[in-house]
Amino acid sequence: MGIQDQENAYKVAYEREKRARLKAEELLENKSREIFLQNERLKENLDLLQKQQTTILQNEKLATLGTIAAGMAHEINNPLAFVKSNIESLGRYHCSYTRLISFIQNINEALPSTVQADLEKLFEEEDIEFIQEDLPELMTDTVEGLTRVRDIVMNLRSFARIQSTGRSSANVVDGILSTLKLLNSELKNTVEVKLDLEPIPEFPCNLNELNQVFLNLIINAKHATEDREKPIIEISTRTVQSEIIIEITDNGSGMSEEVEKEIFVPFYTTKPIGSGTGMGLAIAYGIIKDHDGEISVHSIEGQGTTFTIKLPTHPSESIE
Amino acid sequence: MKGVIFNVLEEMVVEQYSMQVWNEILESQSVDGIYTAGESYPDEELFNLVSSISDKTGMMPNTLIEAFGIRLFKGLATRYPLFIEAEDTLKGFLKSIDSVIHTEVRKLYDNPNLPDFEYAENTDDTLLMRYRSPRKLCILAEGLIRGAATHYDTAITIDHPVCMHKGSDHCDLILRFI
Repeated sequence: MGIQDQENAYKVAYEREKRARLKAEELLENKSREIFLQNERLKENLDLLQKQQTTILQNEKLATLGTIAAGMAHEINNPLAFVKSNIESLGRYHCSYTRLISFIQNINEALPSTVQADLEKLFEEEDIEFIQEDLPELMTDTVEGLTRVRDIVMNLRSFARIQSTGRSSANVVDGILSTLKLLNSELKNTVEVKLDLEPIPEFPCNLNELNQVFLNLIINAKHATEDREKPIIEISTRTVQSEIIIEITDNGSGMSEEVEKEIFVPFYTTKPIGSGTGMGLAIAYGIIKDHDGEISVHSIEGQGTTFTIKLPTHPSESIE
Repeated sequence: MKGVIFNVLEEMVVEQYSMQVWNEILESQSVDGIYTAGESYPDEELFNLVSSISDKTGMMPNTLIEAFGIRLFKGLATRYPLFIEAEDTLKGFLKSIDSVIHTEVRKLYDNPNLPDFEYAENTDDTLLMRYRSPRKLCILAEGLIRGAATHYDTAITIDHPVCMHKGSDHCDLILRFI
């Protein structure tokens, strides 16, 4: 074989090797692309799973809190009932006692002077005059305190879904409109309300309870937009298959992920002490769950919040 | 710089000169010349090779870089026919570089250091491609565009009034379709 033939043979082999390398590189790149795309899909699925896990954990937590709330409500309700009854009796007793004091004061002059002196001393020692002044106020404050305890117990019961829920066929859009009418003075001139209310079928529900949910959400949305130059609340309704979807969106301050996770927990509030009970959304959660529905929140800090309510048009409890 | 660029440079030198010339160039730069398409190599290594080719062949560096750009398009088109097949026209192809091709390249390689392109289309059938890259390889980009024009059998002129080599932070490549 001549030198030229040998060189040609090397060239042919070189070109063959080069083609083989290109093929190998192509294979590697195709595999890299496949891995990249699979990785993207895995990331998406992981993200979805993490979100679902968060929701499951949140629901479990809320279910546990619901059981605790129900227990607490029951345990507080029993002593509350007799305390309330006793306070009513004490009120009546106070009237009798007042009559007795007045009677003693009236007959005072007819009594022997030694008895008068003893009585005066006793009145002074026991500070009867002050007791007479203070008792009505104590009774009023006690009744007020008991009313607050009763309200808290009722709220806990609402969250725990242990209240009877009388249902009748009603239109949720009407409920939203009547809630807005109720809030007219609160919202007028302060926030723009945009409505996109598609007609939705009537379905068995407790409209009074659902109105409370709308009221809580709208009031919250209004508070969240207080610092905004152009506060807007958007409310929409639509039906997707056998589900009614209600969305209440605001362009307010939004909330962090941490707050989002706790938002339906009873007594959780971001408002200053004394400004909110922290029960509004917990009650909303309880009411929607009671309707076999779902309530969820999506928020971006600094941009706004959307609450989404999904209600089945055929909940498990039949029309009463 | 990705190895595939070196691979095409080698092809060009071997085709136009000889395997021996390429071996001598590698030897003069004291590099082993083993370049794998997906691997990254120092930019300096490519620039030194181009400079060495210019010295050896007597071609002006800018002429050589542009000629390489034209050849590079052919090399890439052979290796990645998908991107060419996806577009029917030169303009369509050029406009897909930033949004489609570079996105695909990012799927394959971590940190590929791609240039940025912005586009502006005028009614008088011109296309402005604004090029930004710390490598300042606008001449190579011009060559690649000319290579693409040859592939799509489309006559163009390229004006390059604003250039990073003249102190600007970007290059304006104005393409006129004639």
